[in-house]
This record gives sequence, C-alpha cells and structure tokens, in this order.
Amino acid sequence: MAAPPLVRRGVGKQAVSVGPRHSWRQDLTGWAFAAPFVILFGIFMAFPIIAAFVLSFTSFGLRDLQSPLGTSFIGLDNYAALFSDAKFWSSLGNTVYFVVVGVPLTLIIGLAIATALSRGITRFRTAFRVGYYLPVITSIVAIAVVWRFLLNPDSGLINMGLAAIGFDGPAWLANPTLAMPSIIAMAVWRNVGFAMVVFVAGLQAIPGVLYEAAAIDGAGRWQTFRNVTLPLLRPTILFMLVITTIGYLQLFEEPFVMTGGGPLNATLSVTMYMYEQGFEFFRQGYASAIAYVLFVIVAIVAFLQFKFLRSDT
Amino acid sequence: MAAALVLTLTVAACGTNEGGPGTTAVPPPTDGAASPAMTGAAPTGDAVPTGDAPATGDTSSPGGDVSGTLTVWAMGNEGVLLGTLADEFMNQNPDVQVNVTPVAWDQAVAKLQTAIAGNATPDVSQMGSDMMGQFAATGAFEPVPSSIDPGAYFEGAWNTNVIDGVAMGVPWYVETRLLYYRTDIAEEAGITTPPTTWDELKAMAQAMQAEGGSRYGISLGTKNWQEYFPFLWSNGGDVVDESGTFTLNSPEAVEALTFYNSFFEEGLTPTSVPEGFDITPAFVSGDYPMFFSGPWHLGLIETAGGPDFADKWAIAPMPQQDSATSFVGGANVVVYKNSQNKDAAWAFVEFLSDPATQALWYDTATVLPAVQAGWEDPALADDSNLAVFGEQLNDAKAPPAAATWSQLGSAINDTLEQMTVGSTEPQAAADQMQQQAESIGLD
Repeated sequence: MAAPPLVRRGVGKQAVSVGPRHSWRQDLTGWAFAAPFVILFGIFMAFPIIAAFVLSFTSFGLRDLQSPLGTSFIGLDNYAALFSDAKFWSSLGNTVYFVVVGVPLTLIIGLAIATALSRGITRFRTAFRVGYYLPVITSIVAIAVVWRFLLNPDSGLINMGLAAIGFDGPAWLANPTLAMPSIIAMAVWRNVGFAMVVFVAGLQAIPGVLYEAAAIDGAGRWQTFRNVTLPLLRPTILFMLVITTIGYLQLFEEPFVMTGGGPLNATLSVTMYMYEQGFEFFRQGYASAIAYVLFVIVAIVAFLQFKFLRSDT
Repeated sequence: MAAALVLTLTVAACGTNEGGPGTTAVPPPTDGAASPAMTGAAPTGDAVPTGDAPATGDTSSPGGDVSGTLTVWAMGNEGVLLGTLADEFMNQNPDVQVNVTPVAWDQAVAKLQTAIAGNATPDVSQMGSDMMGQFAATGAFEPVPSSIDPGAYFEGAWNTNVIDGVAMGVPWYVETRLLYYRTDIAEEAGITTPPTTWDELKAMAQAMQAEGGSRYGISLGTKNWQEYFPFLWSNGGDVVDESGTFTLNSPEAVEALTFYNSFFEEGLTPTSVPEGFDITPAFVSGDYPMFFSGPWHLGLIETAGGPDFADKWAIAPMPQQDSATSFVGGANVVVYKNSQNKDAAWAFVEFLSDPATQALWYDTATVLPAVQAGWEDPALADDSNLAVFGEQLNDAKAPPAAATWSQLGSAINDTLEQMTVGSTEPQAAADQMQQQAESIGLD
C-alpha cells in the first residue's frame, strides 16, 4: 500500500519487481530509526514489567538467586498475604494521606502563584518564576537533607524562629503526628513550581477578550476567576491533577532520606515498603505483588479523574 | 594509636547505626577521614612480624602447597587494607596470585546478590556476620572443612557462621558492646564504681540525671535489637530455644523488655533524638553520661574529648542479671562453591585465622581478633581498655544466622519502637514479636 507512488515512478515490469523490495527496505529504515528506543524500551521497560508480573505469582527470593527458573509458582498467595499485611495497609494509608492532602495543596498554591504572577505582580516577574521553579530542578536528595537541617528540633532554623517569638517548637520529624505533615510541606514547596509553570502556560492561552467582556459585564475579580479562568483552565487542571497524583502515589525519596519511614512507620509509603521487601529482604515475588497493586491503584485513580473531570464542552 | 583504631572500627563494625538489621551496608560518615589516618598509622613494612608469620604457611595448606589465582572481595576499609595480608600470603605461597577487590559497604549486598545470580562469585569474600544467614540461603557457600578447629574462635563469633548445624564460614574479626560511662558525673552523683548489676545500672542512670547534672541518664536506642538483645540474653532469655522455636515472649523476655522500657518511661533516655544525632559529642558534653557501644568509640571519644577529657570516662563490662551477655558482631570470611581453586581459598582463610595474621591484621586495620590466641599479642594484651573488650567476648552472643534475619530484625525493631515510643506494653510487645517472628520463620 505504500508502494503506489514508487510503482508509478518506475516503468512497467521492472517497477513491479522493485516495489516490494523498496517497501522492505523502507520498513527496515523505519525500524532502524526506531530501534534505539524499541530496544531500550524492550530491555528496560517491557521485559521488567512482564517479569515483575510473572514474579508476583512466585515466591522468588534468595534461594532462587542461583536458579531463577526453579522458583515455585504460588498463584495468588502473595496478593492474599498482602491483603492481611497490616504494615502494607498502614503504608497505603500513609500514601493516601500524602496524596489527599498534598495534591490539592500543590495545585491550589501553584494556581494561586500562577494567577498572581500573570495578573497581579508585574515587577520582578521573571525572578519570581525562576525562584519558584528552582526547587523543581534541584536534586530531591539535596532538598531533603537541607529540610532535615531546617526541621532539626534543637538547631533547626524553623524552631529557632519559633523560639524567637516565644514558642517551643516540636521535634518535627521524630513526632509520629507531625512527621507526615512535615514531609507534605516539603513536597508541596518543591512541586509548586512545576504546577505554577504549567498553569502560567494555561492562563496565557485564555483570550484576553474574555476578561474584557467579563469586566464590561461588571464581573468582580472572584467572579471573573470562577466563571472565566477556572472553566477554561479545566484541561490544564485535569492534566496537573493526574500527573501530580500519579507522582505523589509513588512517594519515596522524601521519607527515604528524611525519616527512613519512621517514626512508628508513620511516613512509610507503599513504594518504600516495596523497596524494603524487594531489596532489603529480597522477597522479590512479594515486592512485585506490591508493585502491581500500586499500579492498579494508580490506574483506577487516573481513570476516575479523567472520567469525572474531562470537560466535554 | 587509639584514634586510628576507632576510625577504622567504625567502618569495620557490623551494624552500628540505629536503623536496623541491614546495618552492615551503612558506612559511617567518618569513612573518608579514616582512610588518610589509617594509611599513616599502618606502615605495612614494619608491621609485618616476619619472624612468626612463616609458621602459618606450614599449617595452612591442606594439600601441602597451593597454587593458582585467588579473587578476594573485602568490604570498606578492610578491602583497602587487605592487600597487606595478601602480600604476606603470597610471600608464603609464591605460586598463588591473590587479587583483592575492595567493595564499598553500601554496595556490598547488591554486588554479592548480582555475583551469585550471575555465577560470577569471587573465590573468597568477607561477609558481615549479620549477612551470613541470608547469603548462605542462596546456597553459594562451600561448607568449612574439618581441618579448621571451631575451638580456636570465640564461640559467639563462630556461631554466626553455623547454618542448620553446618559451618559455612569462618570468623575474621569481631566487635562487641559494653558500657561507656562518665566517671566525673558518676562521682558528682556519689558513685565511684561502675554498675555491676541491672539495679545498679538503673540507680546510676537515675543518680546521674538527678544529681550529676546530666540531661539524661543513659542513651538507649528506641528501635535497635542490638541494644535490646543483651538484656534479653543477660536475663536468661533467648531469641530461639534449642529446638529452633522462638522464645521472644518468654517471661524472661517480658522482664527484659519491661526493664528496657522503664528507662524510656522514667525519662532517663529520650524517645526521640534529632536527625543525625551523634552520641560522641553528646557524651563529651555530658548530656548523655552512659551508652552501650563497640570498640570504635574508644578513639572517637579520645578525638572528640581531647587530652583533658581522658580521666573523665571509662568503660565497663555489661552489668549482670542472670549473666552479663553482650552482642557480638564483626565479619566472617566465606569460600564460594563456584571457586575453581578451593584448596588455595581455604589455605587463605586458614592463613587469615592464624594468630600471627590476626595480630598483624589488628596492627593493620585495628579490628579485634576473632581468634582467641590473637589476643596474646602485646598490642592488645597491654591495652587495658581493649582487655575489657577481650573479656566481654567470652560472654557475647549473636542472633541465629537465619535466612530471614533482616526481616526478623526489622519486625523486632518495629515492635520495640511501638513499646519505647508508642504505648504498647512490654507483654503485648513480646507477644507481638513472637507472633511476627513465628509467621516470618527462620528460613
């Protein structure tokens, strides 16, 4: 079907015999260009994804290291064990807590900054944008280490500030109630910059005439925001919501560096629990089951978000 | 001398941080500082006791003479310094070429797992004593031949190698824990002798906090089985009994947990410490006048405290209840099944266990000999602090070398934290430990 133009260029019989060869060669060229991606994707994504799925039905562990094919299939046992694993449920609870509080905060603050920077603040606008975006491009580990210093109960800047105004600051990361909020604060602070940049782009796509019309109709600032900005920003908000939720459901580095999942496992996320099972205990079958449960949760949440928030207009 | 000792021991020590069982993998921050100090402190040339060493050559080779090439992996600082011993071994066995590969502690587990999975193991490697169970479960180790005499080693250290009744490795060096305390603060509180019983330990912590002017009485980990088990063992309890059944909720265990927890309940030790907490400066400042630790703290304190501090602290053996049992850690050496040169590999292991080599290794890497005869070396025998450690090693245990130890240790730590920081009662904590341990199992 790709042949006709080639056939036409050729003459008579010759063209007919040349046609398929050209097509084959064209295919090959295409595959050659695609090859780097296809090979890398196959080796580093597709194969592990399939292997992990198979592993999740086995008891693959240390004993199988020398002869991986000799591992025993145990059906849904890993999933059943996971269902009654209290530590898994608490890690899932912690992750949901992080998402439910962290995602709205990130989006609302990001949108507020974007709105302020595109309509209100005009001086030093670039400086502000760069400032808010800097944490996004900074290494998460470096940020977590610095925040650990900030939150140090004895010598941290935050508690020193509180002491200066007469408050006795708590041990932020060592307190089971405050540890997760501290981590949420850091994650929100870091990710607000990305939300801001995306929202700024979304805001710029809204035609100025709509704001003029709203002003002529006598709409106030809040009304304009509610009735013009928000509806037109809906696709952008949906995109940010899905992206941020997926990212936050995979919470790992922040608690890994800052609290190690503690205190009392209050900041242990699903991904951290998976890491512990898979690489500290080397229960790779069980860890794969955790990974697939998390995958299904992410897929369901993203699906629901799309279903309920997609603008049909 | 002691300064260097400490720095290296910090690196060498198995499981010194509070985090949990995967502790061998975490090198303390002093690592970088240690290397330059060590190179200066360990002049290979004059440290080699050429006079005694050749004796090893005769006894070590099972088949007379050995030859070929050996690949040896060693972790952290030991990996850097092992060349000294390898050279000596090659002097005695000129037909053998030993290649030492240093492996960083934080990559050791992953690298060994990869090597085993890929059938690319070395001939010989170092193995953290708390890693033995899990790596032996892979079936990659060669059992120890009968020519090696278990009686030469400290019993606790030897037992970390025994899996299902079969020795899969040989102790290389050891560490054990005992009590560091501030003599000046004790005197302030009217106490002039170290605590010899649990009651005295408790009374001393109370007095140091109430009358000695310390912020706390002692420093104990909120979730560290390495600190809890000495109390369990000293009270006549154990992790498992003879038949391999868990005994984590025995009356002795509940008593030990109750005693351990009382320090937290009475505010003698805090339920949380700031991120990056370091006991050394806190001990020197007097905030924490007592803590349990291994030999690496001798030099850390000496360095941090300076010369004026030398008469303000001392070490003492574990206080006694039924017994005065401490924890023993350290490293073993193993030979791999896939080795093409097992004769030479075992000859090298026997060479490492020779008392003369053990003394040389103390001179080189400043880690404590796992072989009892190694302690007769004057460098160790004449140091009064080290002698206390040597004495404690006669009553020191390690948890069973289970394949699931990292999992068991983590579960025990979680429950300990629920007791010390949370509101779980000792009896409930003991029952929970027992129940979780039973569901995890030993293999």
